[in-house]
Amino acid sequence: MARQSPYLITNYSKDLRLFGSSWRRAGLLLLAALFIVLPLQLDDFWLSLLATVGIYAIGAIGLNLLTGYAGQVSLGHAFFFGVGAYCAAWFGGGSAVGTRDGVLFLDLPMFVWLPLAGLIGAALGALVGPVALRLSGQYLAIVSIGLLFVGDWILLGWVSATNGSQGLRVTAEPAIGPVNFSDLNIFGSAFSPEQGEFWFVWGLVAVVALMAKNIVRSRPGRALQAIRDRDVAAEIIGVNPARAKIGVFALSSGIAAVAGGMYGMIVVRTVTPETFTGFGGLVTSITFIAIIIVGGISTISGAIVGSLVVVTLRQVTSRFVDVLPFLKQTPNDDGLMLVGQFNLIVFGLLIIIFLLAEPLGLVALWRRVTTYFKAWPFSY
Amino acid sequence: MSDSSTAGTKMTTPLLVVDGISLRFGGVQAITDMSFDVNRGELFAVIGPNGAGKTSIFNCINAVYKPQQGSIRLDGTEIVGMHPRETAEMGVARTFQNLGLFGNLDIVDNLMLGRHHLMKTGFLSGAVWWGRAKHEEISNRATVEKIIDLLELGNFRRKPVGMLPYGIQKRIELGRCLAMEPRLLLLDEPVAGMNLEETEDMARYILEVRSSLDVTMIMVEHDMHVVMDLADRVMAVDFGIRLATGTPEEVQQDQRVIDAYLGKAS
Ligand SMILES: Nc1ncnc2c1ncn2[C@@H]1O[C@H](COP(=O)(O)OP(=O)(O)O)[C@@H](O)[C@H]1O
Ligand SMILES: [Mg+2]
Repeated sequence: MARQSPYLITNYSKDLRLFGSSWRRAGLLLLAALFIVLPLQLDDFWLSLLATVGIYAIGAIGLNLLTGYAGQVSLGHAFFFGVGAYCAAWFGGGSAVGTRDGVLFLDLPMFVWLPLAGLIGAALGALVGPVALRLSGQYLAIVSIGLLFVGDWILLGWVSATNGSQGLRVTAEPAIGPVNFSDLNIFGSAFSPEQGEFWFVWGLVAVVALMAKNIVRSRPGRALQAIRDRDVAAEIIGVNPARAKIGVFALSSGIAAVAGGMYGMIVVRTVTPETFTGFGGLVTSITFIAIIIVGGISTISGAIVGSLVVVTLRQVTSRFVDVLPFLKQTPNDDGLMLVGQFNLIVFGLLIIIFLLAEPLGLVALWRRVTTYFKAWPFSY
Repeated sequence: MSDSSTAGTKMTTPLLVVDGISLRFGGVQAITDMSFDVNRGELFAVIGPNGAGKTSIFNCINAVYKPQQGSIRLDGTEIVGMHPRETAEMGVARTFQNLGLFGNLDIVDNLMLGRHHLMKTGFLSGAVWWGRAKHEEISNRATVEKIIDLLELGNFRRKPVGMLPYGIQKRIELGRCLAMEPRLLLLDEPVAGMNLEETEDMARYILEVRSSLDVTMIMVEHDMHVVMDLADRVMAVDFGIRLATGTPEEVQQDQRVIDAYLGKAS
């Protein structure tokens, strides 16, 4: 008994480590290596695709806190994503598409406007949150669609700020102090915008994922899961459901707005209502739901894995729209259906297939496979 | 502490005073003008047939339901009109007749949730983790592990509790109550649906809790053997009305109780 097994956990601090086992540490190292090496290896198409994947992953982490952990199904996520995207133009720098003058743009540095976008998203989420207290399940899902149409009405109606359906150009750059990730120069070697943006986006994915993981493994995150599983029991042990639900609504909306700000600045560079509100917003919200269901509901890594699958699928279909004869880019082209309609059908099918066959998503599937091989040859 | 006379009266006054509560649901009279006291350190049992209003009494003490009349005082503080989560802060813990566990979480998380009202970490300090959140996790985890040891739950640690056997889940729910550091523990049919072995285990744990922790208990139970073995005093109810209160022997011999409950049951 003089020597302890190296696998014995001897204190709670060790047990609470996120990367406690050697397997996990190896995985973390692999991810870090990929983070550094991928931009040096992949071409710009794949890098910008992966940046989009990362941005959707951040938004999906927010939705997973709300839907996966707190059990509140919302179809309004695209609205808060849009709030962030418009904030990128308003506060980070932009111009109106077309001839409109008089829209006010600030040129705040990113470390000011991106958190500000998050705060505005969170504040709006906290305002909408009380509705979530009264509703749950499918009722909340349906009412939250209303947010998308209220959003449409605001964006199209408030022309002096939003420039209506023509939208706003985003000129903000992903720069922190002198380091501009779109124009990266390290020790005399210049990198393409796609390379720098990959590092920026995935660095932020890591930060958001870590913060979300910390929340769900500590007191506030446990309270959310308690309310989801048994609300009366949660209340009698001292959880305040109103505070928890409004808090998670604000948090998830704030994260969505941060993701939206990045989306406006890095992916689209022009923000228009149709991505975030109305029917197009519904497609975006369903994309987020597909991501968390495919990846794994109530897991942080599931949002990332799901985004990898769903967003890649989406980008690849729009890239190969010319090759696939049944798809068309605009209503006047030849073809059976629009890319957007096709994506909606695919995501709908993915949601149904996963809910039936693997309701806990790819992450759960992966865990089952690894436990199987850990116990091999004794697995059955 | 130096004033021995007030300390003395505090020890002799009942912990819980239920004074003339009545509870109606529309036309259903669940509780009618019911009064009883529970002394400090006592194990007080409530018996009665199904639908007698036993769970409703718990729901009133827990402030889940608000009786239309009467008062409930815990150590002199009025509970009627409180919010359920405030009763947790007052030190009332409770198990449910049909389990009230968080099925997708493991034992550690379920028990840590029992400590929710004793912890402070919010969304912001939780997101940061280092500092307060981590410190709070570690110190509360130590308490939770002691309870896991006391109730011999260590073998089931990292599984969602919803997947564990019923008897184990009942024990976890008792553990979550203990994690709350309660003054008053409400057990709603702790051995219902258990086989003989599980029942004996649970009775042993209840005795263990009594001897190692300073906690007052009210237990609703159908199993007369358990009640007769464990309880200091028993209250029999039927149709929301108190029939008799006394030692297990006295209540067992009360004619109204025999008519209403024991006679029918045996
Ligand atoms: N939430 C409720 N709504 C309507 N009636 C209720 C409710 N809770 C309890 N009751 C009624 O109150 C009576 C007592 O129920 P209960 O306290 O659960 O009995 P016991 O726990 O003794 O079996 C029953 O007639 C039951 O139908
Ligand atoms: Mg009952």
